Amino acid sequence: MARYGMVIDTRKCVGCYACRVSCQMQNELPVEETYIKFHEKETGVFPNVKNEIIPVQCQHCEDAPCVSVCPTKATYTTKEGIVLVDADKCIGCKYCMVACHYGARTQDHNTGVVEKCRFCAELVAEGKQPACVSTCISNARIFGDLDDPNSEVSKTIVKMNAQPLRPDLGKAKIYYVR
Amino acid sequence: MVWGTIIAAYLFLAGLSAGAFLTSSYAARKYPDAKTVRVVGRLISPILMGIGLLLLIVDAEAGLKDPLRFIYLFTNFSSVMTIGTYFISFFMMAAAYIALMELLKKDTNKIVEYVGVVFAVATAIYTGFLIGVIGAVPLWNTAILPILFVVSAFSTGIAGTMLVSAIMDKKVIHHVMSIKKIHLTLLISEVFLIFTMFLITSSTNESAAQSVAMLLSGEYSILFWLGLIVIGLMVPIGIEALEIWNSSKLHQSQAGLEVAASGSHGITATLITESAVLAGGFILRYLLLAAAVPVIFL
Repeated sequence: MARYGMVIDTRKCVGCYACRVSCQMQNELPVEETYIKFHEKETGVFPNVKNEIIPVQCQHCEDAPCVSVCPTKATYTTKEGIVLVDADKCIGCKYCMVACHYGARTQDHNTGVVEKCRFCAELVAEGKQPACVSTCISNARIFGDLDDPNSEVSKTIVKMNAQPLRPDLGKAKIYYVR
Repeated sequence: MVWGTIIAAYLFLAGLSAGAFLTSSYAARKYPDAKTVRVVGRLISPILMGIGLLLLIVDAEAGLKDPLRFIYLFTNFSSVMTIGTYFISFFMMAAAYIALMELLKKDTNKIVEYVGVVFAVATAIYTGFLIGVIGAVPLWNTAILPILFVVSAFSTGIAGTMLVSAIMDKKVIHHVMSIKKIHLTLLISEVFLIFTMFLITSSTNESAAQSVAMLLSGEYSILFWLGLIVIGLMVPIGIEALEIWNSSKLHQSQAGLEVAASGSHGITATLITESAVLAGGFILRYLLLAAAVPVIFL
């Protein structure tokens, strides 16, 4: 069984928002609602500064706090390690939004259901790539099986020493090259 | 604020309801003559919890549109919210039964009342655990928070019961001095707990330090100092201490005892104190939700 994960290379990301737009199209989201949020981080002291653009979405944590706090079991982890929301079980209590370390969840105010990045589970089931990955103009995103040592995603993590945003906050499945 | 004023009101009402239930059970045993306090506590408890639950349902948009989904609330035992749902269900059943017996003027089943006491305490603690287990918000993620919530719940419960009792029966509140003493102890503990929590958590974590700064000197400082500390805690502590002091002086002379027994003082002090405690109890929960700075993950 595959265990899906992703690498995001912030050094390659140009902040064009193509991933966000394709994600919104794939998930039929309104303009103001989005699963990918862009953060900027400046480090160093002028003139030696580095400006990073860091796209953040659901990190599909292995020990996801949203899954354990959800009172209705609407949020669950699939066998492939993808964290999903069952829209028919969610009551919209927002406990998962409060519990998420990455602020990656958003509430759909038409249905009241809390949603977030789903690693495009329906595309992945067909053997395709998630929309954000296939649309990325600079190949900053790589998606694949973390358990397969020969997958591109596994090789890249090792080669680039990619790290989760905050390994101390739980085992995330999105790794960042920074 | 993911969780806003509605959730603050719910947390406040759940604590108040649990506290009122405990106050009435205590009064029933300690002061069989102070019938008003017992009856008021027993009646307001399920009503306030009911209002709190309605607020919760209104805030849960997806459930509001499809109410059958609320049954799923009982399914995930790793969630504090599920455990709380059980606590509240048992507490509500016991409180509603006791209130009904009181209305029908029948004797209550002792066992049901003890079950009610246990689940009232559980309900008050649960409101603290609910946000206390959230690792993403360092201000909440402290062992002191559930204790603070319990102390505040009992104190607002006493306040709510005494406030309504004073309006119903001017004399009764002067006969229940030990309730006032417990109340004063709770309020003083609350001041201590708030500052312990702020001091310790703000020195362990950057986000918590930001939260505490927002409360002590930033955006919410006026509400914190004036609303919570002065009105919610210092004013009631001052008035209650004076009342207890005066009453103990009265009991030293025969004439004083007669005055005390006739219960001829006014109720203004009680009305001010208890309203201030209730305002403080709500402000405390509102501020804790409003100043919730999440962990910085970048």
